[in-house]
Amino acid sequence: MSNLKTTMTGYASYRGREGHYSFLLHRITGLGTALFLIIHILDTSFVYFFPDLYQHAINLYRSTLFGIAEVGLVFCVFFHGVNGLRVAFFDLIAPRLWSVPKQRFSTKITLLITLLMWIPASAIMLYNMLYHNFGWFGG
Amino acid sequence: MTTNTRTIQKPKPNFETKSWMFMRYSAILLIPLVFGHLILQDVIVGVHRIDLDYVAIRWASIGWRIYDALLLAFAFAHGVNGIRQVLNDFIQSDRGRKIMHWGLFLLWLIVTAIGAIALIGGVRPIS
Ligand code: HEM
Ligand code: HEM
Ligand code: HEM
Repeated sequence: MSNLKTTMTGYASYRGREGHYSFLLHRITGLGTALFLIIHILDTSFVYFFPDLYQHAINLYRSTLFGIAEVGLVFCVFFHGVNGLRVAFFDLIAPRLWSVPKQRFSTKITLLITLLMWIPASAIMLYNMLYHNFGWFGG
Repeated sequence: MTTNTRTIQKPKPNFETKSWMFMRYSAILLIPLVFGHLILQDVIVGVHRIDLDYVAIRWASIGWRIYDALLLAFAFAHGVNGIRQVLNDFIQSDRGRKIMHWGLFLLWLIVTAIGAIALIGGVRPIS
């Protein structure tokens, strides 16, 4: 367990500012998406293995609780994707740009792009949820 | 003036180097695949319009099946390899890593197989 303690205290106490936060966020969002994907592949496979139960699985996705989680999932995927592209670009194409000021700037751009994609997507998903689950907007 | 030059033998890429490269190359491929899937299913279509018939209609076209097959192959392998990288930071003993690597490999194999069988078998009618 000492490894767990060392790694976790390192995560919490290291002060790498923007780079550190984006590292942590990249980890958490990647793990969250991966966990979702395991469940998602299994529920999609119901169409073949248990077609009678597929609708039950989808009904869970339509619940208000999942509707909120979905907004979070979309944030995770967008942030992880945009930030991952940033990492891949610097590593594969322009490693000479790995400097602290450039990272401070590019992590902020990453967050901005993520929010620009996420806010309209969330608005549409929230609209759908209010329309179908709460009867708003004439639903 | 003399210049000092030093020749560095590039080491042969080992498994970790290849997995590092895989994470980055798959990343570039995953952007259109995952973003496209997510924007389509969550935002444009929405879960309230997804049901058995919806999947049946989509999988009737081979193009979407190939798309989903690429998604299954790359997104999940990327994700499981990512989990492995994270766990490597927590588990440092050789024995622990061996168990963890095999565990994740089996998880990847079984879940990918289930997804692939569904994708090839297609939607079955409700009995
Ligand atoms: C003994 C170990 C380490 C030392 C001595 C060290 C030292 C430094 C220093 C001096 C900087 C520049 C910081 C600044 O000007 O704000 C830096 C930046 C950074 N370090 Fe470390 N570091 C260590 C370990 C780590 C680890 C384990 C990680 C990953 C979890 C990490 C991730 C980063 C990142 C992402 C930055 C960029 C921060 C930024 O953009 O401000 N470092 N490190
Ligand atoms: C949308 C496109 C995606 C891009 C551009 C992308 C990019 C990346 C990159 C470049 C890394 C390596 C980071 C590093 O080694 O420092 C990474 C790690 C990771 N990715 Fe992705 N990824 C994407 C989608 C996904 C998906 C769909 C999942 C889940 C199934 C996922 C799960 C992970 C995990 C768990 C890690 C390990 C995180 C860590 O080591 O801190 N990624 N991603
Ligand atoms: C909550 C948001 C999501 C919804 C509503 C959704 C919906 C669907 C649906 C309806 C299918 C069935 C086939 C089709 O119509 O193409 C499917 C398959 C699939 N989705 Fe998603 N998806 C979501 C998020 C994701 C994410 C984030 C990923 C990747 C990280 C992903 C990866 C896959 C894969 C790999 C398949 C094929 C599964 C198989 O072969 O069994 N999905 N998705």
